[in-house]
Amino acid sequence: MPSLRRAKPAATQPTPTGPDAPASSTPTGPDAPVPLTPAEVAAQRRRRRTGTLIATPGALYLLIFFVVPLGLITVYSFATRTATGRTSLSGWNLDSYERIADDVIGGIIARSAWLAFLTTVLCLVVAYPFAYYLATRPPRLRARLLVLVMIPFWTNGLVRIFAIRFLLGSNGPASALSEAMGLGTFRILFTPTAVVLGMVYGFLTFMVLPLYVALERMDWRLVEAARDLYASGAKAFWRVTVPLTRSGIVAGCVLVFVPSFGSYVVPEILGGAKTLLIGSYVARQFQAARNWPLGAALSVLIIVAMLVAVAINQRNSANAERTQGVAR
Amino acid sequence: MSDDAAPAATPPGVPAVEMHGISKRFGEVVAVDGIDLHIGDGEFFALLGPSGCGKTTTLRMIAGLDIPSEGRLAIFGEEVASLPPDRRPVNTVFQAYALFPHMTVAQNIAFGLQMRGIRGPDADRQVAEATTLVQLEGMEHRRPSQLSGGQQQRVALARALVNHPKVLLLDEPLGALDLKLRQEMQVELKALQREVGITFVFVTHDQEEALAMSDRVGVMSEGRLLQVGTPTEVYEHPANRFVADFIGRTNLLEGVTEGPSAMRLDAGAVVAAPNELAAGTPAALSVRPEQVRLHRHGEAPEGEPCLDGVITDATYLGHAFVYTIAVGPTAGAGGTNDGDRTATITARSETGSAALAAGESVSVSWTPAATTVVAD
Repeated sequence: MPSLRRAKPAATQPTPTGPDAPASSTPTGPDAPVPLTPAEVAAQRRRRRTGTLIATPGALYLLIFFVVPLGLITVYSFATRTATGRTSLSGWNLDSYERIADDVIGGIIARSAWLAFLTTVLCLVVAYPFAYYLATRPPRLRARLLVLVMIPFWTNGLVRIFAIRFLLGSNGPASALSEAMGLGTFRILFTPTAVVLGMVYGFLTFMVLPLYVALERMDWRLVEAARDLYASGAKAFWRVTVPLTRSGIVAGCVLVFVPSFGSYVVPEILGGAKTLLIGSYVARQFQAARNWPLGAALSVLIIVAMLVAVAINQRNSANAERTQGVAR
Repeated sequence: MSDDAAPAATPPGVPAVEMHGISKRFGEVVAVDGIDLHIGDGEFFALLGPSGCGKTTTLRMIAGLDIPSEGRLAIFGEEVASLPPDRRPVNTVFQAYALFPHMTVAQNIAFGLQMRGIRGPDADRQVAEATTLVQLEGMEHRRPSQLSGGQQQRVALARALVNHPKVLLLDEPLGALDLKLRQEMQVELKALQREVGITFVFVTHDQEEALAMSDRVGVMSEGRLLQVGTPTEVYEHPANRFVADFIGRTNLLEGVTEGPSAMRLDAGAVVAAPNELAAGTPAALSVRPEQVRLHRHGEAPEGEPCLDGVITDATYLGHAFVYTIAVGPTAGAGGTNDGDRTATITARSETGSAALAAGESVSVSWTPAATTVVAD
């Protein structure tokens, strides 16, 4: 057999790559457990080469349109704004970051966080019963209902938000209804309430889907076991169903909170002058105010907040796997 | 089907579980079809049947997880058919255990106590007692996923028993364990039941398990309760063909009854076969393999029912041989394909006796008292 083994690599190595190729074919270090045969090494190298090849376009795209701009933003956040509104790439400083603590900007950040928090809680309260309903339907009905959930998601977001603006406007149906019922005119558009309503509508799908996935994977026999152990329906829900769908709850909250916090379109259209949020404020720095360093610093802040949320979510799903993985 | 599920030899006193005409339909499907059953206080009762026979549904109705479509159900005299599971004095050991993965062993065991408002030192003491009862000391702070199958099973038992239910329901509790552990747990579970004195209702498809563990067995098929009796009764006197075939291994020799003491077998002989069926009823004679005696051709003792045949297969099992014998008038002539006139008999013989080989002509005989005539 040894002769056959030796013969193979020669046959399957039509393209020797560089002078270092043969060297790697005989790992002899102390921590090389079992030396690979030349055939195995060749196969391994082929696999690696194919992997690199198919990942290249995506990696290039992300590098050019994501990593590089992000790097530029970070660099700009340490730069200086000249008196004429230009950005001077010298005299690096932390001035922009210090300004974040200003009352005005701090207030905008706090308001953004508060509205994002409200949006997240409302989404959770609305989405949980709905996802529960979805997940407990017969499979065929489930698939149809899921498509219905996705349809608004596939519809142009701008169109949907303008539709809400019409609905809530002083000439809109909501106002007409309110007047017809003798409740007076309906003043909700251009208030924080309208922004939260719009964001709940816009991001509800992000909450429904992870909750649906968690509930769909739920082992309902555990609820039966709880009922058998003297838990009422409500107690079984709080003690078993909610903890076991925690990963879906956390994922949904992260997915709603992050875009709500940095939201730009919804507050621009539904919010008034009093509901300036961080997304719009950043846009203003890059456009009208021509203060790129400040806009960049705020952008970095938003990105850091997002990364923290993602880290929470990662830990959460790792936990869920550890505690529920085997018992399932 | 003769559904004379006579609740014979029900222990006296108020029955732990009492069912009258219990049925359960899921849409068009009839899962349980008119069950009458009394289970005595302190009994170890097994519901036995193939998968899909309705035994788990019956158990779930006692637990309250399914509500009967029809019939009356009482637990220690209290009508419970419409009560939710949390208001019944029963607990269940679920198939695959259904332990709460997000709680520790101790939290799992304490769950039922907490739900009934028992907390603090009193609850701690009861949890500790239950943990000791199932020999899980030192595992209190582990998660179910960190336990072996056998340990998970013990947690499930402790989680139910800590509540001192009036009836403990067990749904195939040993099904997920490997053979050796299963046999150990059979002995342990039986001992545990004696120790705690609680009525156990045990669902299984494993007839050996049912016979080995229970005081009485109820055999189910297609939603009906076919026979209720002690393991000896159902093994030695099966009520019908299904029970005879399902409980243990048996040879079913087809034929027609000829009066109360004889039967004409399709395989060609008229043999002594005590029965209570009307003459001329198509029936089968059930002869257990261990009751079949093998003789050299023509050497069967006088006066015993016997058939001549040819060994078609001999299997060595270590402690015994199992022979498959084609019997009937044409069997000797190599006509083993003559389905109408030939039957196959399985016989066991201890290894000590002389081994016989395939192809040898033999006679088989048995004692009439060791057989049962069963109809459909």
